[in-house]
Amino acid sequence: MKGRLNNRRNGDRLFSAVLLIPILVLSIAFILIPIVESIFLSFQDYGSKNLISGKPGVWNNFENYKDLFRSGKIIPSILITFKFVILVVLIQFIVGMALALILNSNIKGARFLRSVMMMPWIVPTVISALIWMWIFQPQYGIFKYFVSVITGGAVTDFAMLNNPQTALWGVIIAALWKLTPLMTLLLLAGLSNVPTDMLEAAKIDGANAPTRFFKIIVPYMSPVIKVSVTMSIIENFKQFPLFWTMTGGGPNDATQTLAVLSYREAFVSFDHGSGAAVTTIWLVLMILVVWIFNIAFPKEEMD
Amino acid sequence: MKRVYKRIGSIALSAVMALSLAACGGNDDEKSGSNKTTKQEEQANKTEEGESASDVTLKFANYAVLEQGYTEFWEGVKKDYEEAHDNVTVEYVSAPYNEIVNTIINMAASGNRVDLLFGEISWVPGLMDTGLASPVEDILSQEFLDTFYPNVMEDYEIDGSHYGLPLYISPFVLYCNKDILKEAGFDAPPETYDEMMSMADEIAKLKTDDGNKIYPFGQTTASVPVSGVALNAMIFTMGGRLFDDEGNLSVDNDGFKQTFELLQELDKKQYNPQNAKLKDLRNLFALGQLAMYYDQSWGFNGISSINEDAADFAISAKPLKGGSGEGKSMLQAHSIILVDNGEEQTAALSDFVEYLISEDTLQDYLQNITPAYPATKSMADMELNPVLEGAKGSESEVISQPFIPEISDIDLELASLAQAVTVNQKDVDGAIAEFKTKAETILK
Repeated sequence: MKGRLNNRRNGDRLFSAVLLIPILVLSIAFILIPIVESIFLSFQDYGSKNLISGKPGVWNNFENYKDLFRSGKIIPSILITFKFVILVVLIQFIVGMALALILNSNIKGARFLRSVMMMPWIVPTVISALIWMWIFQPQYGIFKYFVSVITGGAVTDFAMLNNPQTALWGVIIAALWKLTPLMTLLLLAGLSNVPTDMLEAAKIDGANAPTRFFKIIVPYMSPVIKVSVTMSIIENFKQFPLFWTMTGGGPNDATQTLAVLSYREAFVSFDHGSGAAVTTIWLVLMILVVWIFNIAFPKEEMD
Repeated sequence: MKRVYKRIGSIALSAVMALSLAACGGNDDEKSGSNKTTKQEEQANKTEEGESASDVTLKFANYAVLEQGYTEFWEGVKKDYEEAHDNVTVEYVSAPYNEIVNTIINMAASGNRVDLLFGEISWVPGLMDTGLASPVEDILSQEFLDTFYPNVMEDYEIDGSHYGLPLYISPFVLYCNKDILKEAGFDAPPETYDEMMSMADEIAKLKTDDGNKIYPFGQTTASVPVSGVALNAMIFTMGGRLFDDEGNLSVDNDGFKQTFELLQELDKKQYNPQNAKLKDLRNLFALGQLAMYYDQSWGFNGISSINEDAADFAISAKPLKGGSGEGKSMLQAHSIILVDNGEEQTAALSDFVEYLISEDTLQDYLQNITPAYPATKSMADMELNPVLEGAKGSESEVISQPFIPEISDIDLELASLAQAVTVNQKDVDGAIAEFKTKAETILK
């Protein structure tokens, strides 16, 4: 009897392993190998000439990394990337949670609103960037008109994407418009896991709305919050099309994130080694941020 | 029991997936097999019909095929050439302007090399450096090459060989809206930057009929390489240099500094649309919101695509003189860059290029679609688009730029420098010092 049970377990394990093979092969071929190759490339002098001729790059130790620091490009890019990620994730979470709570409160037309709300998420990112670019267009954009109306005609030439102080905010607004719907949808799904009897009991016991939110809703939603915020961090960390289409990293490098710098090094300067060095720094930082977030947001089991 | 069912279910599902994959693969094989058969049959039929067995396909990388104002011309070139040459197929490889170079590099990396590329003269050094561009002397006849103006060909020369050919040429010309100039009280375009500034003071007081602002002067400064090229041309007009004759960075000259001081002044007075791409300037000009601006002559195609009546108000003028300069600009050319893909390909390529850069092919195009100056002596008497009349002669008053493979990156840094002194309001000397540090790292 025991032997048959062991055989069955071994068979199950073998069967599971067989089922895992395709995804393992795909992950190794399309994720792991390119990452390792990119890291390897970051220590080489490797340009388009090598790419076309097939000649291997020349190993140059940390020269690509040193050049990035020497040129003063990498530190501002890291800071801009962090500023963008922190602001977008934070605002996206607050707005997403507020919308999720509103849509969960049985208001009239909630289902319709839910459908309409998803529309920006469906629009391709480049199209979203072009839409916002036109909205912020400095000569005839509608945003300039609104600013002029709101300020009573005091500011008539507001150009969001042309000013180094406001250009990043222009991209942040576009990113929020595009990505908040998904956050809202995920949080809305999480809200459905919060037991209503618990909320009602807390209400009867005299708990006010903030107490119910922080002591019951948030803990019950913590797995969903963790996943959705992690997704948002990764999504915004690797944001490229919005920046490249709306500002190209300008004005005066004010929106040059790691994504833009990596593209510029690899595909404008055709220095693939330097581009790979930026990508490696970018990858390490992203892993660090997600790791720190996971430590700071421990798994909380609710009974 | 449940477990058995689960396992049977999983095996069945895996089998279905495997079969589907196999079926898809098989289908592809069959498809490609049938394609191969069809191609072989076609080939056999052609041979039986007495046509050449050595059919050639010329892969022509061309971003302009995707652009509204140019599609008809390029499709016409393909159609006419193929009609006259049964054994040659011209296959366009298209991608947007900003992506076409990456596209052909990626194709070449996978062993799929195009035969020719239509692009900017500024792309030539980079493509030569990658090993993709071939010397034109290896592909084209000397007789044909001798028809090009020698001073124009100088800009394609690297170590004694030429790595591209101009289809047509132009410096950065000054496009002006004669109606706006007239309304401001001026009969003719300015000739110097000082004249331009005093005219700009008057133009800035005007508004369009619907109350919109009219910008007096446009110089592109956006974060794209072509803005850097335009800025480089402006530096030339002011007598400045970016590189010395040996290709070393050389920005400690009056003309270079004066250019950025002028840009700062224009920005402070809000005369120049901030951080604008060339297409933004074309748009504003077409809508009557920009009085004058620097552009490649073929930019007029973009203007007339937006406003069909542009020819009624647009005139051109030579690049302005000022600072330490005499208004000599930088040569711009829509160019053909050739790739050597073996004898059979290059024979067809040579014939196609001679067909393309000929009066018969380009006359209507240059006269009515894309105003530009011809690049060959054989087309010297060709009638120009009337809009270029004012800038006539400027095409021969140009300064050559030495060979710099990293020029696109330097151009982007030039655009950043212009943004630093305009939207960032940085001190010109400090901004130039920062530019030098960045440029030296690029050119290391």
